[in-house]
Amino acid sequence: MSNEVFKDASKMSGGRESDDAIIIIEGVYKRFKDFEALKNINMQVGRKEVVVVIGPSGSGKSTLIRCINRLEAHDDGHILVDGTALTTDIRNIQEIRKETGMVFQNFNLFPHLTVLTNVAIGPRRVRGLSKSASEELAMELLTRVKIPEQADKFPAQLSGGQQQRVALARALAMTPKVMLFDEPTSALDPEMINEVLDAMKELAQDGMTMIVVTHEMGFAREVADRVVFMDKGEIVEVGTPSEIFDNPKEERTKKFLSQIL
Amino acid sequence: MITWMRRNLFRSITDTILTVISASTLGYVIFQVFQFVFITGRWEIIQVNLKILLVGRFPEELMFLVGFSILATCFSIASLASGMNRPLDQPPTLAGKLWELFQRFGLIISTSAFLIVLAGDLGAVLFGAYVVLSIFAGTLFGRARRTTHLKRLPGWLWVAINATLPLVLIFLTMGQAALEEWGGFLINFYLAVVSIGLSFPLGVMLALGRRSTLPLLRWLSTAYIELIRGAPLFVLLLLAGVALEFFIPASIAPDAIFRAVTVFTLFTAAYLAEVIRGGLQSIPKGQAEAGKALGLSTFRITFLITLPQALRNVIPAQIGQFISLFKDTTLAGVALSVFDLLNVGTAITKQDDYLGQGLIYESLAFVGLLFWVGSYVMSRESQRIEKKLGVGIR
Repeated sequence: MSNEVFKDASKMSGGRESDDAIIIIEGVYKRFKDFEALKNINMQVGRKEVVVVIGPSGSGKSTLIRCINRLEAHDDGHILVDGTALTTDIRNIQEIRKETGMVFQNFNLFPHLTVLTNVAIGPRRVRGLSKSASEELAMELLTRVKIPEQADKFPAQLSGGQQQRVALARALAMTPKVMLFDEPTSALDPEMINEVLDAMKELAQDGMTMIVVTHEMGFAREVADRVVFMDKGEIVEVGTPSEIFDNPKEERTKKFLSQIL
Repeated sequence: MITWMRRNLFRSITDTILTVISASTLGYVIFQVFQFVFITGRWEIIQVNLKILLVGRFPEELMFLVGFSILATCFSIASLASGMNRPLDQPPTLAGKLWELFQRFGLIISTSAFLIVLAGDLGAVLFGAYVVLSIFAGTLFGRARRTTHLKRLPGWLWVAINATLPLVLIFLTMGQAALEEWGGFLINFYLAVVSIGLSFPLGVMLALGRRSTLPLLRWLSTAYIELIRGAPLFVLLLLAGVALEFFIPASIAPDAIFRAVTVFTLFTAAYLAEVIRGGLQSIPKGQAEAGKALGLSTFRITFLITLPQALRNVIPAQIGQFISLFKDTTLAGVALSVFDLLNVGTAITKQDDYLGQGLIYESLAFVGLLFWVGSYVMSRESQRIEKKLGVGIR
């Protein structure tokens, strides 16, 4: 694959199966009243690709991935997820949400349900699995994120890192084709960040398509196929981790990286 | 002890003055109450009229139905309580358990014992024994659920099994004796329980309606809530007494108790709706977003995620509404001439034997006591539920 495609977010690119894009974003705008949160975003994500989105706060990174599963509605442009176009049609939205898992900055676990039920609720209530089948699946996923012994506790009894791993298991329980991560480690104490990042790395190695908004540059360098730098609602620069971190072309990218590294 | 007193009661001159004043006031009040209760009070009026105070002119031959309803209810409550899955914390010690039981039921038990002594006949004593037995049997049944193969029973079925018998008996009781024959505390209790049961779902629906994205539904709910909350309950009750005659011929018009239940339900639902709406607003937006991200439908997000948390957050305010509803049932006696506890209480002082003897104090004290016990138990239970549901949350 030539380096060309890595530099243009709008090209079918970057995937290990490069001619098969799973997410296509074309000319997307998002406005909050007078404020333009996203301006003309063009981007494609290939199957099994790991894309890390970086940028200063308020640059629209979170808004971008929240548009992909319609937690925010985009104003102009098109978003296609695995061939389904995001429209106002609630059936399409549900279809896409079933195929995209999301992990939030603040975990957003359901505090009134046990850890096991938190993970099992998706398969049970959306995919219609039986109680025992959904709990079996949940247990399997909790084992995968290495906290099966916490199944019967409530979220508040767990540490932040454990909670975020439960949130990861909960999203995976829907067997999504794409995983969206919205600053998954920003609310964690430093000593817990690695356990979550490790779980994410494993997921990437297993071939999950991932879009990760994060400030963990080490993670981006190690795991990302492509890094997207955003500023003021625009995609400023795209490239492989080494291109972006070692050899940034744009002035804004250089400035941002000099501030955080 | 001395140091404690010095530190907490007589720390400064102001403290000392306040201590002396409040101690003497307290002493005076206790003395007066003691004197009234044990010396000057003439409690035979309560003793003689105990049955009419509690159940009114309920037919004697059907009393056994009331008795069985109470027994079945005690059984079910005990069974449900002990059949619940225990929280993960270590099990309480026996002494802790007894203390908890005393805290929870001590007041009810002593009140019941007091009533039995007042009634002073063998039937009452036997009935008390049956109540204890049915609670014990219920506890065993509940424990069987936790320990035997009944464990596999789904929760809703378990609740249904337990709820069926008391409900059937209660409805049977209601069907057997015409509602006009009811009276006394039974009426207040019935009004409160039925209105609470009906107003809760209505209140939830109104709260959801007010937050709905459909404008018509939202406007209707808001208009209803604001209209009802702007009117005094007493006026609504009086209105229910006369207004229906405009629409329905008197011959088929519903009786006073039906009207009272309707008004209490509609009234409490409006307040409850606001309480629940407050609860819904306290749930962080991320909860609904997490539900959406999983692909849950709006309906399921509401009923599985946001509403359960909202209801739990506002338990004290909800129970507060129910307590005031319970006490407000006395208004139905005045506004709709329902023969409730307060009406009975004032009526018995006008019996030939007691007329003009100023026994209204004794009578009102008894009425007040029953309401206080009921309200206090509800408030204690609400704190307990709150604590229990608060285990390991947030």
